[in-house]
Amino acid sequence: MKRIANGYKGERVSRERFELAIIYVLRFAGILFFVAIVVFPFYWMIVSSLKSLDELLMRPANLALDIRKINFRAYYEVLFEHGFQRYIFNSVYVSVATLVLSVVLATLGGYAVTRIYFRGQSFMSYSILIIYMFPAIVLVIPLYVAFSRLGLRDSIHVLIVVYLAQTIPVALYMLRSYFKTIPPEMEYAGLVDGCSRLGVIWRIVIPISAPALASVAVYTFMIAWNEFLFAFMFLDTPEKFTLSRGVVQIAESVHLSKQLVMAASVVATLPIMILFLFFERYLVKGLTAGAMKG
Amino acid sequence: MKQQGRTFLDRETKLAFLMVVPTFSVVISLVIFPVIWNIWLSLKPVSLGGLRGASLLKFNLTLENFRKVFSDPGFATVVLTTLIYTVAGSGLSILLGLLAALLVRGEFPGRSLLRGIFVSPYIAPVVAVTFTWSFILDPQLGVLNWLAINSGVITQPIPFLSQRWWEFDLMGLRLRLPLALTSVILFEGWRYFPFAFLFILSRLQAIPDELYVAASVDGASPFQRFFHITLPQLSTVLYTLFLFRFIWTFNKFDDIFLLTRGQAGTKVLTINVYDYAFGEFDIGASCAVAMVLFGILSIFTFVYLRWIVREA
Amino acid sequence: MASLTLKGLTKRFGRTTALSCVNLHVKDGEFCVLLGPSGCGKSTLLNIVAGLLPQDEGTVLLDSQPVDSLSPRDRDVAMVFQSYALYPHMTVAENLSFGLRMRGVPKATIRERVLETARLLGIEDLLEQKPSRLSGGEQQRVAMGRALVRRPRLFLLDEPLSNLDARLRDSVRLELKRLHRQIQGTIVYVTHDQVEAMTLGDKVVVMCDGKVHQVGSPETIYSQPVDTFVASFIGSPEMNLYKGRLIRKDGCPHFVGSGFSLKIEGVQLDLDGCEVEVGIRPEDIRIGQGVSVALQVKVEMTSYVGSEKYMHGRLGQESVTVRVPREADFRAGDIAPLSINPDRVHIFHEGRRI
Repeated sequence: MKRIANGYKGERVSRERFELAIIYVLRFAGILFFVAIVVFPFYWMIVSSLKSLDELLMRPANLALDIRKINFRAYYEVLFEHGFQRYIFNSVYVSVATLVLSVVLATLGGYAVTRIYFRGQSFMSYSILIIYMFPAIVLVIPLYVAFSRLGLRDSIHVLIVVYLAQTIPVALYMLRSYFKTIPPEMEYAGLVDGCSRLGVIWRIVIPISAPALASVAVYTFMIAWNEFLFAFMFLDTPEKFTLSRGVVQIAESVHLSKQLVMAASVVATLPIMILFLFFERYLVKGLTAGAMKG
Repeated sequence: MKQQGRTFLDRETKLAFLMVVPTFSVVISLVIFPVIWNIWLSLKPVSLGGLRGASLLKFNLTLENFRKVFSDPGFATVVLTTLIYTVAGSGLSILLGLLAALLVRGEFPGRSLLRGIFVSPYIAPVVAVTFTWSFILDPQLGVLNWLAINSGVITQPIPFLSQRWWEFDLMGLRLRLPLALTSVILFEGWRYFPFAFLFILSRLQAIPDELYVAASVDGASPFQRFFHITLPQLSTVLYTLFLFRFIWTFNKFDDIFLLTRGQAGTKVLTINVYDYAFGEFDIGASCAVAMVLFGILSIFTFVYLRWIVREA
Repeated sequence: MASLTLKGLTKRFGRTTALSCVNLHVKDGEFCVLLGPSGCGKSTLLNIVAGLLPQDEGTVLLDSQPVDSLSPRDRDVAMVFQSYALYPHMTVAENLSFGLRMRGVPKATIRERVLETARLLGIEDLLEQKPSRLSGGEQQRVAMGRALVRRPRLFLLDEPLSNLDARLRDSVRLELKRLHRQIQGTIVYVTHDQVEAMTLGDKVVVMCDGKVHQVGSPETIYSQPVDTFVASFIGSPEMNLYKGRLIRKDGCPHFVGSGFSLKIEGVQLDLDGCEVEVGIRPEDIRIGQGVSVALQVKVEMTSYVGSEKYMHGRLGQESVTVRVPREADFRAGDIAPLSINPDRVHIFHEGRRI
């Protein structure tokens, strides 16, 4: 808060002081409120996952977690009896593949539409922007029908390609706006110094764009990791489930054992939160720069 | 000479072409093609069971699907629910985002930690947070109902996500609240306020300090500074946010599907698309609803952009 | 080192013509300056020579060989940019060696040449720094070094000094001149600063709106401008230029401007009655009665620039700038007599010198 004392009139000064005091109190209360509503569900998710079913049924209003009664049974069941080891692997595979492919393709495409002149250049960069406003629900039924007919629907690799269509337009848009900030002279210098176009991209553009690439990478990883709709519609075979799909599976099969659902949710949430912890700066950039699909 | 000059340019063009082809083919085949095929399917009698048949490419076009969708007596309610959900959800998430941004504005210890915490609802998988909230709000096992009952606030557990109307007395007035819809809207506000928060925060930080110094020299109090400087400076970002949030909330399927499956008065257009396809096994009608959804969205976007362009 | 020849170079961007039919020859080892106001196409010309932009028509020849089909890497030219365009993710040493590494020069040679260049420019101590840690002057040296280390056939310098502050610019300019004498390279140097052009160039090319107006030594450009653009663009303060007509009086040609007239020489009499423009540089006007027709100037103000003093006044209805002795003392409103040496009057008909 700014404290610019206005000595013009005593009344003004006291109003300034009064309002600043109100703001101070409101601010404190507001921060408490937001922290409470944001943190509580996560707290509850973790705490419930560490309680036994009996504990949850007997004392549903018990907010605290008794350290002596911490119970990892739910995690054991989720990982070893409900196939979550496999789902973790699948989610990592799908997310990493989506990340790598969309970063590579968006870098190439984004560079081409930014720097190399060709016919239809501006058309292409605009149409890509419009495309990422298209609703997923409009796409999912036709894709479901098409892939079912082709017999390709229940496949992790098809899922990756579908995710690419979701992430590339945003990734390309983000990279394009970053590439635009690189002075063309930098690339001219590279060309004159003896690089080919691809050499310029590899040796000059990519190193300079490292922060933007990191943002795009973290962001696309997150999209793929959290995606639910396509995974839910496309995957039938449990061996192919991603974590999101797996959590739904568990929630549908066990109605009372909420500790299992919560443990499964923690397993799905923890990796992305840890990633967020390490790459917060890049992810926040990615979210604001790309105006994310959500 | 002219030809020689062209060859270098040609190489560049060819390279650029090769660089955009993968992206373009993915987008064409998985975005443009489905949209076109959605139109095609919406004009044909296709059932889920008939998918294996060979009738998908035949020219037996009909408006039957649209007739079916529009003649459904519940359809108007679905559209209305969608609009209420979208406007209220977008508005709430932006309002919360604005408040949160104002709270963490400026420099103080723990600020970046707070920012990280505030963003987390948006980062977590939708599946995890919807199931957690369903559990918290559950009428039998949910901690919220039990806490409220134990402390005597309510006598009966409230089925937040499974009851359509909740009647209560307020100062002698009998009021009816669309309970499940309200819960879903509150969830929407909770999950998506970080999006507005980040945008508004970065805009707030871009407001030059001189403006505030000038205003306080002119005798504006803190609240006056907020209403005369901060809010006007934020107007563009608020308009833009509303457009984005409106479009995405309108298209939202996951959240409602996972919270209520569209039951108890929370059936929106996206759920309707799903229900036709996988509840009634009618792909054609499902695609027709998708077309209606797409149409409403396009009209809204067009009108909003025209209006906002006029404003600006 | 190589010679550079441009034949009929034309470039359009949409409807605007950036270059129209530019012809130019730069000899081996020559320092050629392209001078013109911003947006005159000089940087476009440089980019075409480097191969960064394709021309619409015309040919670029290095040592009489057309290089139009060669990509920038194969033309073996080096370029220094106004913004320096140093690679921010590389150290100074890596910046310097980049071009050599790309060309597969052996490592030992690279080390040797980088050190040699760094020594030449006095940047040995900076080799391990990143460009962002360097001052503007140091960055400029690194940018020069990146070009020098390559020993290319041709140097292209695009306003390399304009991001330096004024004092530094003067010293770097002199250094550049010395450097050129030392390496004997062929240089094409783009600038909008006439002082740079005049002091550095063996040959100056004055350009405007994509056209070459005049090519010549600095002396020629200054003393014999071919048209009114060159006349007014070169020289500071600007040349006095007056519109008027030629008439014959007492058998001699006279120029009649608005409110004054002037006897001139060396004009063919068939131009009698013609609309012309005359130009007189401030230093070619003397205060005091001379042999020629006396003119009178009404003093408005004087400006003192250290080594020189200028008097601004009115000659008839026109304004005039005159270089005056430093000790001269004028007050606004004074009337002073002027004399003009008829040899030093530039006469232009329809914009061209006659």
